[in-house]
Amino acid sequence: MLNSKINRRNLLASAAAGGVATFMGPWTHNRVLAQGAAKPIMIGTTTDASGQYANSGADERRGILMAIEEANARGGLLGRKLVSTHIDTETTPATGSRVAERMIQQEKCGFLLGGVHSGVANAISQVAQKYGVIYFNTNSSSPTEAGQNCHRVKFVWDGNGTNFAKAAIKNSINAFGGTFVLLTNDYVWGHDTARTTKKQIAEFGGKVLEEILIPQGTRDFTAALIKIQQLKPSIVAAAIGGDDQKALRQQVAQLGMGNKPVWLNNQQDWPDVYGLPADNLFGVFGTTWYHELTLPGVKEFVEKYKKMYPNEAIKVPGNVFYNGYMAARELFAAIERAGTTNNIAVIKALEGHVMKARDRMQHFDAMIDARTHQVQQTIYLATANPRPKDKDDLFALLAQAEPKDVVDLDAPAACKLESYEATPTFDA
Amino acid sequence: MQSILPHLINGLTLGLLFALIALGFTLIVGVMEVINLAHGSLFALGAYFALTTISGGPLATSEFGQWWLTFPLGTRYAVAALVGPLLAGLVGALLEVCLRPTYGKASLYGLLLTFGAALVLEESIRLAWGAGEQNLRTPGAITGAMLIGGMIFSTYKVYAAGFAILAILCVWLFLEKTPYGAIIKAGAHDSEMVRALGYDLGRLRLFVFGFGAALAGLAGIVMAPIWGLRPHIGLDVVIPAFLIIVIGGVGSFWGAVIASLLVGLSVGLTGAFVPAWSMVSMYILLILIVGFRARGLLGRKSALEN
Repeated sequence: MLNSKINRRNLLASAAAGGVATFMGPWTHNRVLAQGAAKPIMIGTTTDASGQYANSGADERRGILMAIEEANARGGLLGRKLVSTHIDTETTPATGSRVAERMIQQEKCGFLLGGVHSGVANAISQVAQKYGVIYFNTNSSSPTEAGQNCHRVKFVWDGNGTNFAKAAIKNSINAFGGTFVLLTNDYVWGHDTARTTKKQIAEFGGKVLEEILIPQGTRDFTAALIKIQQLKPSIVAAAIGGDDQKALRQQVAQLGMGNKPVWLNNQQDWPDVYGLPADNLFGVFGTTWYHELTLPGVKEFVEKYKKMYPNEAIKVPGNVFYNGYMAARELFAAIERAGTTNNIAVIKALEGHVMKARDRMQHFDAMIDARTHQVQQTIYLATANPRPKDKDDLFALLAQAEPKDVVDLDAPAACKLESYEATPTFDA
Repeated sequence: MQSILPHLINGLTLGLLFALIALGFTLIVGVMEVINLAHGSLFALGAYFALTTISGGPLATSEFGQWWLTFPLGTRYAVAALVGPLLAGLVGALLEVCLRPTYGKASLYGLLLTFGAALVLEESIRLAWGAGEQNLRTPGAITGAMLIGGMIFSTYKVYAAGFAILAILCVWLFLEKTPYGAIIKAGAHDSEMVRALGYDLGRLRLFVFGFGAALAGLAGIVMAPIWGLRPHIGLDVVIPAFLIIVIGGVGSFWGAVIASLLVGLSVGLTGAFVPAWSMVSMYILLILIVGFRARGLLGRKSALEN
């Protein structure tokens, strides 16, 4: 029989050893992770495989892996192969921190990619900044990610709550009236998005009747939906994410409240809606990409996805996959432009970089804002497609907004990027 | 000023649904003194089995599948509501067999085993049905909306609450009015005496665990059209179920039902007036009740209290 060795003395000794190890950890700023030219470039995919963003996490990871495969098929970067490693970030900020530490310290990853939950992305980026490791937040859309929580090493690839609100509010007030009820998820992304929504509503002459805070993990929305019926707003602006949003959608559809009042759902991620009945997809929402865009390269991109992932439940790529793929592809392009894997050189190659609309399969050129590190890109407004041509044709695109019209003007003031000198430097 | 009546109705409805969720959990804890952390996974499993039954699953394209799909959704749903709990019950029975080596040992062993089982079941669901959101279809007669007091309510939710009342009554009748129920209750009170009277305690435990798991599966089928269906949905279930049996008093059937209604009312009313507190309100309720009455509302008096 196994004789248990766990007693208070052993536990205290282990804790003390752990504490000493942490204290004696690498404090030096200048590190060399890999010197050999033939050594592979390690890419850490910090995506959720469990928790409420597991599905989106898997989707963005597929996008990142497709970009890695393409790069390796071309012979790698700077003569070196790309090797990816993955650890589940569990949609939990504390896990995100641990995963980032392990990826950098043990797996020797020179670059980290992946993030849907803003809290997780923020946690990863704090660790990444400590070591100077470039981190791409691929899919989290809290305005704070490129605002007060920005970092020199972090680049934000999704449109944020402000971008989507700017694209939607003015048009909605003109079309449907100006009385709003805000349904806000009670965490950082929800609050940030609601704040910018309220600002937009005030700017365009609308009125907020009430803001209903929805704690994370809420599964029954009846109380909020009764309240909305009692308040009778013309528009409900919802910033509800993840599983909460799925439950909300189901319950709104059951009540037949999808059309009246009008729903503005800040953003609708493709993995969250794929395969659901049409009545679950209500209101107007934002997205950064759609597989039925009639733009050059889209069809080929979709075919490539189908070829690489023939057995996936999601049969066509959506915005989350797209953001993962584009982020990884642009990282590799930046490394090639810099001609080195030195982090500071790659950061400089990314800052201010303009990406042609044609290359990104969007309507307008995109740009990595050097002040905030957010990608300013085309924002599409969409709704449920009343005449789908097949079962994957869920969205009807209503409009596309130019990046300059939806830019988050508050972000540069809120974002204080660390200086290059204060950012540890190394060659990945 | 918003009317309180629709929120009271909502709170009670929600409470009945919580009761349905907690039924199997309280039965297992009461009889076997095992905190079944796999309850949520069995809840999910029941709903996924029902999903496959309704859609035909991998057999959908076969001759049998095509024949099966000719039946109206209502018929397939009714069959699924039997098949789902039955299969979840079988998985539960299997779990009970795995639990046997832990009987008579510290309760931590059973707790850890059911926690491990929850992880295995969740991952199995992910492998079998995928990580994405699924939609459990319901018959047209119980979908849509209805007006109560000028407010729109979900027809399905009213049906689900009615179903919960029926399930509660059936379980109560089973426990109170049948000899099997009497044996289960006796087993919960004094298992050694039941064994001494010649009843097979192993079979009793197997049945109770399977029955509790089937009730979890049934709750999953009823709740999936409201909460949605995804592999980790079980996580949303275990904590409220645990709270409810502690508030109601461990092992007390009506204690659990009353606690469910109180939790439903607290979540529903705070959701209306202080929505940011709606989730935490159930924990506050727990603190208030257990703070004043440690054994819960209708829990048995501990020997230490004499």
